[in-house]
Amino acid sequence: MTFDEILDMLYGIMHTTGVYNFDPKVIVMWAIASAFIYLAIVKKFEPLLLLPIGFGIFIVNFPLVPLMGYVHGRPQLLEAFYHYGLEWEIIPCVIFLGLGAMTDFGPLIANPKTLLIGAGAQLGVFITFTGTILAGFTLKEAASVGIIGGADGPTTVYLTTMLAPQLLGANALAAYSYMAMVPLIQPPIMRLLTTPAERKIRMRQLRPVSRKEKILFPLVTAAIIALLVPSVVPLMGMFMLGNVMKESGVVGRLTETAQGPLMNIVTIFLGVSVGATMYADKFLSWKPLFIFGLGLIDFGVCTVGGILTAKFMNLFLKEKINPLIGSAGVSAVPMSARVSELEGLRADKTNHLLMHAMGPNLAGVIGSAAAAGMFIAMFH
Amino acid sequence: MKKLVILLTTLFLLLPATLMAEDFLGAPVMPGGKILQKTGSRLEISVPKTYDQVLAYYRNALKKFKDIRIRDWSESIHIEDDSNRPWHSITISKQAGNETQITIIKDNWTWIVGTLILRFVGVFVVLMILFVGMKCSGYIISRSVARLEDKKAAVKT
Repeated sequence: MTFDEILDMLYGIMHTTGVYNFDPKVIVMWAIASAFIYLAIVKKFEPLLLLPIGFGIFIVNFPLVPLMGYVHGRPQLLEAFYHYGLEWEIIPCVIFLGLGAMTDFGPLIANPKTLLIGAGAQLGVFITFTGTILAGFTLKEAASVGIIGGADGPTTVYLTTMLAPQLLGANALAAYSYMAMVPLIQPPIMRLLTTPAERKIRMRQLRPVSRKEKILFPLVTAAIIALLVPSVVPLMGMFMLGNVMKESGVVGRLTETAQGPLMNIVTIFLGVSVGATMYADKFLSWKPLFIFGLGLIDFGVCTVGGILTAKFMNLFLKEKINPLIGSAGVSAVPMSARVSELEGLRADKTNHLLMHAMGPNLAGVIGSAAAAGMFIAMFH
Repeated sequence: MKKLVILLTTLFLLLPATLMAEDFLGAPVMPGGKILQKTGSRLEISVPKTYDQVLAYYRNALKKFKDIRIRDWSESIHIEDDSNRPWHSITISKQAGNETQITIIKDNWTWIVGTLILRFVGVFVVLMILFVGMKCSGYIISRSVARLEDKKAAVKT
């Protein structure tokens, strides 16, 4: 073997390494990934999702890694998760099944008028849609960005995968990041829009809800949603299936699986495959930054929408609603309801709003799914 | 020399086709039509072709356009652009005979805002109907539960 042949061989080996194919742009992505991993581990911001998303961003941004491509027509590991889990729209629906199995609709059934707060809190979704179009996004992209304010991760992922898959990473990241930051974003808006007297409004204790009502609720809701917004039935149908499983009390093993192991498994696949869509070439542009900026406004306007709806309803109601529960209309369950509780306690140490805020919180889930359904019907 | 002649002939043949390819705000306009109305935001033409011929022309012309949606309405075909092109829609009327009317409309905020407001109201309507449904079912169930409890109480006494 000559010296030149050895050099050629070494050169060939070098070609197959990431070092040779290194692109400095990936350093920025490593920094972004590290920031999300830091937020998840140190700040405990949505760690279940931000950690796998952060790791997904990190691992996919190395040259030549066989993760997000196809070889001989077969998807590589993370591409397979992404393709079968997200492109086939399976993961968001399975997550909704688990969420349904965890949800107690009692507070919403006991006080159904809070459903309207959940609708009012979708204001930001539609306002952001307009802002996004002004910035030059397409209508489909604008719809997928707008839904971030609904604060519903699986719905955001579901809608974005359908309408603008190229924005999936940025949208999911913005949605989950801001959901984690609800305790920072909402309180100033809540204080700004309510008077001290309004914050002290006491709401009557919720009536007990019978088991029959709890079983009937998911069936009635599924039927109404299927009739009015059929395009969102994959999500809401699974959500209500999970809930009817829980409330029926006869399929304990299935309920436990749906809300535990199954949910955990799909959460790993969701996080890592969403993160894996964010490679430097695609992600480093003005669009993700803009989405992050607008997502914050979106959350803010949704909070405003919920509070103003509660205040508007108070004009007509004999028994007033504490407008602090309006902010819980964004569907970050149960974080935004907890924020309402904390703000209520700040105003009056004996005024507990948590159960009252759970009503609009759950209505927000249905409201954001309905808004997503409207967009799907419009553009898909 | 032979090649040059072929090239020039091809260019000569293609030139009229290129010149005839008109557009309105980026939307293809079928050649040979008579303009009925033209403003900065709307073009209405009538072409001496059947509806099927016009539809086939537009299907072919828009083949490479992304985010195009074709809605089949009873009186017309409505081709809508969901991206951010300057035109919003092309409407081809469904009428018998050899004259077909085509209307091209500029992208407009009235449509966007209108549809958004409608959909925002739509979310309210969905939840309002759900609210009514819940109220009714709640009322029926609480009444039946109360009756059962009354019966039980009567049996005990």
